[in-house]
Amino acid sequence: MNSTHAMTLALLPEAMLVGAALISVLIAILRPGLRPDIHRWIACIGLVGSLAACALVLLGLRHLPSGIAVSVLNGGLVIDSFAMFIAILACITALGTCLISDSVVRSIPSRTSAFYALVLVSTAAAEAIAAEREITTLFVALAGLLICLVALGALVKTNPRGAVSSFEHLIEGGIGLASVLYGLVLLYGITRSTNLSAVAASAGAAPGAVALGVALVVFGLCGMLGVFPLRQWVGRVAANVPAGAAGFIIATSLIGGGAALARVTVSGLGSQVGVWRWLVPIVAAIALGYSSLSSLRETTVSRLIGQLVSAQAAMLLLGLLAFTNGSRGLPAYGMTAFLAGLGITAIATLASFGVLGMLQAAGISDRIEHARGLAHRSAPAAVLLTISVGTLAGVPPLAGFLSRVLLISGAADTHYGWLAVVAIAATALTVMAAVRLFATLYADAGDEVPFTLGATPLLSRVVAGVACVAGIVLVVLIQPLLAVATAGAGTLR
Amino acid sequence: MNVILSTIIWSPLLFALIAIFLPERNEEQRARVRTIALAGAGVSFFVTTFFAVLGQIGLGQGGGLASAYQENHTWFWNFVFQAHYDLVADGITLPLLVVVTTIFGCAIFHSWKVHERVRLYVVLVLLVETAVNGVLCSSDFVLFAAFWGLLLVPMYLLIRIWGGDGARRAAAWFAGFQAVSLGLIIATTVIVVVEAGAQTSDMGADLTTLPVVAETVGFWLSFVAFAIAMAVFPVHTWMIEAQSKASAGVATILSGTMLLLGAYGMLRISLIVFPEPAHYYSFVITGLAVVGAFWGSIGALRQDELRRFIGYMNVAQMSLVLLAIGAQTSVALVGAVLLLAGQGFASAMLTLVSGAVEERTRTTSIRAMGGLVTQAPRLAGFYLVAAASVIGIPLLAGFTGDFMVFAGSFPGHRIATVLVMGSVIVTTGGLLWVANRVFFGPVRDQFARVRDVTLLDLTVLIPLVAAVVLFGVRVGAVVPVIANGVLEITTRISGG
Repeated sequence: MNSTHAMTLALLPEAMLVGAALISVLIAILRPGLRPDIHRWIACIGLVGSLAACALVLLGLRHLPSGIAVSVLNGGLVIDSFAMFIAILACITALGTCLISDSVVRSIPSRTSAFYALVLVSTAAAEAIAAEREITTLFVALAGLLICLVALGALVKTNPRGAVSSFEHLIEGGIGLASVLYGLVLLYGITRSTNLSAVAASAGAAPGAVALGVALVVFGLCGMLGVFPLRQWVGRVAANVPAGAAGFIIATSLIGGGAALARVTVSGLGSQVGVWRWLVPIVAAIALGYSSLSSLRETTVSRLIGQLVSAQAAMLLLGLLAFTNGSRGLPAYGMTAFLAGLGITAIATLASFGVLGMLQAAGISDRIEHARGLAHRSAPAAVLLTISVGTLAGVPPLAGFLSRVLLISGAADTHYGWLAVVAIAATALTVMAAVRLFATLYADAGDEVPFTLGATPLLSRVVAGVACVAGIVLVVLIQPLLAVATAGAGTLR
Repeated sequence: MNVILSTIIWSPLLFALIAIFLPERNEEQRARVRTIALAGAGVSFFVTTFFAVLGQIGLGQGGGLASAYQENHTWFWNFVFQAHYDLVADGITLPLLVVVTTIFGCAIFHSWKVHERVRLYVVLVLLVETAVNGVLCSSDFVLFAAFWGLLLVPMYLLIRIWGGDGARRAAAWFAGFQAVSLGLIIATTVIVVVEAGAQTSDMGADLTTLPVVAETVGFWLSFVAFAIAMAVFPVHTWMIEAQSKASAGVATILSGTMLLLGAYGMLRISLIVFPEPAHYYSFVITGLAVVGAFWGSIGALRQDELRRFIGYMNVAQMSLVLLAIGAQTSVALVGAVLLLAGQGFASAMLTLVSGAVEERTRTTSIRAMGGLVTQAPRLAGFYLVAAASVIGIPLLAGFTGDFMVFAGSFPGHRIATVLVMGSVIVTTGGLLWVANRVFFGPVRDQFARVRDVTLLDLTVLIPLVAAVVLFGVRVGAVVPVIANGVLEITTRISGG
């Protein structure tokens, strides 16, 4: 395969998305009066096209033992199993968002094309992040993702707080990006290379500067992931941006941030640069403690979901740490647990916000106390919210619980026993937070006036329901997910 | 393909899924919901009982058969360890399955007394039954933890929604303790799968390679986790609160099955997986049994509330089981399983009778009651049968269990056994004192119009009486089965 063909193949999934976004915007400019549905279906076609391109690459990957389909720009852009896993996950998240976002776009009929274009470009950015091994393009992709997500939040604002929260997201994300940029610049200054793999080789040259650079990058990327210290945006976006869009913003940031962190730490720094392997556990422990404790005192469903996503994101860091061999010299499968957990978290986040969107469309307030007796008023809404929030909180026997067991086992196997203890305690706390919500949904009879979810279109209800049920189905069918995640993780090390 | 155990576990859930879609606007529709739930619990009960008899024949005859039924499918394998959908029913599991499915059947019958939110009630009860049956049959750590965790939310909601005053607090206590218990079980699971090096979470795998420290830590983690569920002193407070504040039907499930699960977990995991520390720290276990026995029996005497009294009685009864777990002899452990079965039935019966008494007298105070035997002789009779089983009267379920626990524990732990026997005297006194206060003595005017048991009460209580008598009379058929199951524990502890 010559380099032009390789480049085409490498960029095909992203090109499908960007192309669809451009078509949508062009149509909006040329024919402004068209039904909003047209833009949604264009976005869906673009996403299906991107998924098809990923499938094409995966077909080729079957015959390559290395798991790397394409490597261009001197190894700076790599289409491997990991990149494909992230790309497919991002596409599924975006597809789900497009299908459940009807109530969101209804409030912005004149900007529908912009909404879907931003969804598509964000997805393309997340896909690109997963394929990057070059620090300049990685930073550009990260910045692109942040800008698209912030713009998306600002675009769908329904009240002044929505705009403020998007601005706060921009500031917090900007600080995170600045931190990543300074860190990467520092690493470039030491290594004189923009390739991540060169950092590890030159780590011994200036250990202090490398440590500072790595710390800055890790802090910044943790912010993207929604983990301490730059995590306030998660709660704000969850509470102030309409649920259909908030779910996408948080889930895609999680996917992009997770992919970038995995590329930088596991693929780039590896075990040769030890600083991240003591920094990440500290961040994870603080984040787990803070998020799980905060989830206990949340008063709104959206912020509770935000805290649970944040706790789950912190839990994912345990998988990153367990990327090496375990205590008995066998692989600890931490990255497998990381990718499986990332998939489960992204889908559960989408499901939770999908259900929240249905409640918002039905005119139900976001406050937990206003969800009293929800099971009386709309049993399907209560059941779906129970399953989706339960999955995020790690309530057994849902998929979130299984994901946590895998992540904790991986960390314990790689001598992070103390972190496993913190993670188990955090799980007990998040389970309690979820139980507190369930008690309100089922136990407290409040306003007895029943309501239906009819305000949300059938397709959106079905998609949100399927995303919720995935929390149960993935318990039974965890093996296929693990198999795919193992293949994805294989190319990172 | 052998799907007996899957049928026992999943049939309640299947019927719960059917019930969830049924309307409940009028009494007729509510009756339909209850009937569907009864069918779910009934399938589980009949399949269990039928195959328990067959299994009993197989296991009782010996011949090296370790388990009557087993299902094993690999769940996932692309990881540090393999997990299996591994279900096993051995000599310990089979009789306990009979106990819990009987109690759940009675609890569903009791739902005819529930008139509010019937659909949610029966769905939650069936979910709890799925979890309880799953815990009893699981032979894989991850599967066990998943089923154990499944208990938390439905049980919490059952206590809170249908409980009386103070149910909110009782439910919070329950959830808090159970969340800790769940966390400890996850920790135990992680220790086993990581440290044993067997690369499997199968409980039947060779775990002799566990390092000493890991084994000790694992033992204590699992012991505390199950001690919480078993309501061992000093982590028994949740049970007293839940027992007294939950509705009678829910309290029946709690006292009849939750405590049993804790003891089962100790036998299945703390003793079998961590035999050496279990043997080394047996003196601590027996010490806790002695303290718990007195704490429970004396605490019971100080109660004025009928169901708090039963709660403390449960603490005392569980201490007898704990004594057997500390003694770790074959005879004592067989006695412990028998006692669990007997205690499950008797405690469920006591709770249902106390619920019926409270319903009729509209008071929970023991001192405010009296002379009910005149108006409700059958109710008094049921109480006395249950009390007799707890006390250990011959030909009832409790007798052989008590006897074997004491006989098996005495050679190794003489003082502890004698002390716990002493507590049984206090327990007996307590049960008779309550019988005297509630049912005998002068007839009180305000209870002159109290009704005796209804047909519904009889439907719930008669199966339990039958079970108590059957386990007492036909104990000879059950003991070889349990002995077969206990063999694995004693073999592991003796280093085999």
